[in-house]
Amino acid sequence: MSSRKDFTKDKAFLIDMTKCTGCRGCQVACKQWNQLDAEKTEFFSGEGYQNPPAMSEKTFTRIKFRDYQKNGQNEFAFYKEMCMHCNEPACASVCPVGAFEKTAEGPVIYKADRCIGCRFCMIACPFGIPKYEWSKAFPLVKKCTGCYSRVKEGMKPACATTCPTAISYGPRDEMIKEAERRLTDYPDRYIHKVYGKDQAGGTSVIYLTSLPFDELGFKPVTMRPLPGYTWQALRLVPAAFLTVGGGLSAISWINHRKDRLKQEREEAEAAQQPNETKED
Amino acid sequence: MTAARYVVNEIKGYHRFVKFLIALVAIAAVASLARFVFGLGPTTNLNDTYPWGLWISFDVVTAVPLAAGAFTLGAIVHCFHIKKLEPLVRPAIVTGFLGYSLVCIGLVLDLGQPHKGWHVLRYWNPHSPMFEVSMCVMAYTTVLFLEFLSPVAEKFGWHVPMRVLRWLEMPLVILAAAISTLHQSSLGTFFLIVVDKLHNLWYNPLLPLLFWVSAICAGMCIIILEATASHKWMGQPNEGVLLRTLAKVLPWTLGLYIGLRTFSLLALVEGPFFDRPGLTIAFFLEFGVGFVLPCIMFTQKSVREDDRRRAIAASLVIFGLVLNRFNVSMIGMMNPRHIYLPSIIETLVTLGIIAAHILFFVLIAKYFPIFEHHPETVDYTIPDSFHKLDGGPSVEVKAASHGG
Repeated sequence: MSSRKDFTKDKAFLIDMTKCTGCRGCQVACKQWNQLDAEKTEFFSGEGYQNPPAMSEKTFTRIKFRDYQKNGQNEFAFYKEMCMHCNEPACASVCPVGAFEKTAEGPVIYKADRCIGCRFCMIACPFGIPKYEWSKAFPLVKKCTGCYSRVKEGMKPACATTCPTAISYGPRDEMIKEAERRLTDYPDRYIHKVYGKDQAGGTSVIYLTSLPFDELGFKPVTMRPLPGYTWQALRLVPAAFLTVGGGLSAISWINHRKDRLKQEREEAEAAQQPNETKED
Repeated sequence: MTAARYVVNEIKGYHRFVKFLIALVAIAAVASLARFVFGLGPTTNLNDTYPWGLWISFDVVTAVPLAAGAFTLGAIVHCFHIKKLEPLVRPAIVTGFLGYSLVCIGLVLDLGQPHKGWHVLRYWNPHSPMFEVSMCVMAYTTVLFLEFLSPVAEKFGWHVPMRVLRWLEMPLVILAAAISTLHQSSLGTFFLIVVDKLHNLWYNPLLPLLFWVSAICAGMCIIILEATASHKWMGQPNEGVLLRTLAKVLPWTLGLYIGLRTFSLLALVEGPFFDRPGLTIAFFLEFGVGFVLPCIMFTQKSVREDDRRRAIAASLVIFGLVLNRFNVSMIGMMNPRHIYLPSIIETLVTLGIIAAHILFFVLIAKYFPIFEHHPETVDYTIPDSFHKLDGGPSVEVKAASHGG
């Protein structure tokens, strides 16, 4: 787990959902770069043209569609589902073998060679991002890589490169500044909140939307970094071990001593009065 | 050939119930083979919404506290020096050892990459409760194995190991209690991370402490049930007098649990508690029937002294504990529109694991001195095979004969 506290220079996505046209070029680019298999899809299986039916081991990002009415007109709203690349990721903190790493560049990456397949990351992730290869006998976890292989070499992630309108990619502090600038410049266009600034303690994916987050399918999450929730208990482990171990040692020493003294006293008494009943 | 025939004849002589258990275990073995051949997806009802199911909820999260009797009783007998309860220790240790071995088997089935399980030893992540629990379970299974070796050494007359193990007894008991405290509570820490998923009735920052205290209660109740059952069905001596003593401790530990649980609900969590009828029922069944009711029962002398009523109260606690662990690890996180139910294969494997536990317990008790253990009668001296000590009196021999 990373122990750094400054995430301002991490690379982050600023995704302005009001500018998204729902072209789903990001989905295609993601599949291409990560060489993910296609999925069986069906028209109108979800709202609008939303497809594939769910995020999965083969789908790392997806545009969710939302149909709604505004001033009597039918409107579309979108939400790009993907790994949030948290500043302090829950997946990295709960993984018993440290198979997740928050890289200095920003993406949270997964080391398949370490993974033992316990699926704690899937339980822990507040956004429900890690997916499992359920069809395999010895499955691994799959999730958005933040295109670490590209970012490392100075390129933008595949989805951000492809997107014609909505995704900006750059240092996190600049992205937040840009998001806040848009909120002040166009107050009517947006819900006045930046999703990802404080969610789960801050993420490397930041959203602006026109509809309330929950209506678009954003998950309601805590504003505290998740690893803190377990660490507040786990940090007591050495103390608990020493307290119980030491306490029980002391108690048994005292009790054994009490017994021994009692026995010695009895023996001494027995020795003083040899005439009384013999032992055994 | 003769050895095989001996085994077959031996098995033929078993009680019908034992044969039934063997059948259940065999079915589970086939079912778990299916998991490795066809994969987790086709054989279980697990999916991306429910990555953890019956195998984690029962075989790990529930089985571990059910095996807590060993460390609890060890501490009571050896540290708090309530020596008269010692005859109960060995059955508890056997239960614990079997329980933890089967937890390990359950985990191996559930892991996606069981062949890489040893990675926990190589890549440490002390921030992970799962790392904590895996290390503890490995360490504690070793401790239980060493404790379990005592009756084995006794059976085969291995004198040196017997002496060594007798000498190690106290350190092992203390180590067992310390390690158990850590992982029993860390199982609760698992669910501190699901802050936005677990229902308010169960999510609270005291989960680790609650898991530890309830494990202690359940450990003692399992001992009561086990001793009662082995008296009734295995012709073992009635330990009712000892169980009465144990039952006297229970109102205190159960009371502590109820107090902590009430405090955690009233003071540490906000938000709607009774917004989902199903969960409300689950909560009251667990807390009311499973903890409050038996606590009241155990305060009654008439319950503590009556074998049957004592066993009923103990089973209520077990029921409460099992339901609590399921509520925390499964039911309290369920989406009402998309319910998880274990598949047939998952169910068969878990049934097989429970059957294996009972089966091995019965068989071990049949062949090893588990119930007949009275330390004062065991000869812990090392036989003087080389006649080195024949010459004169030796301090060592004297010390050795004091062993009991």
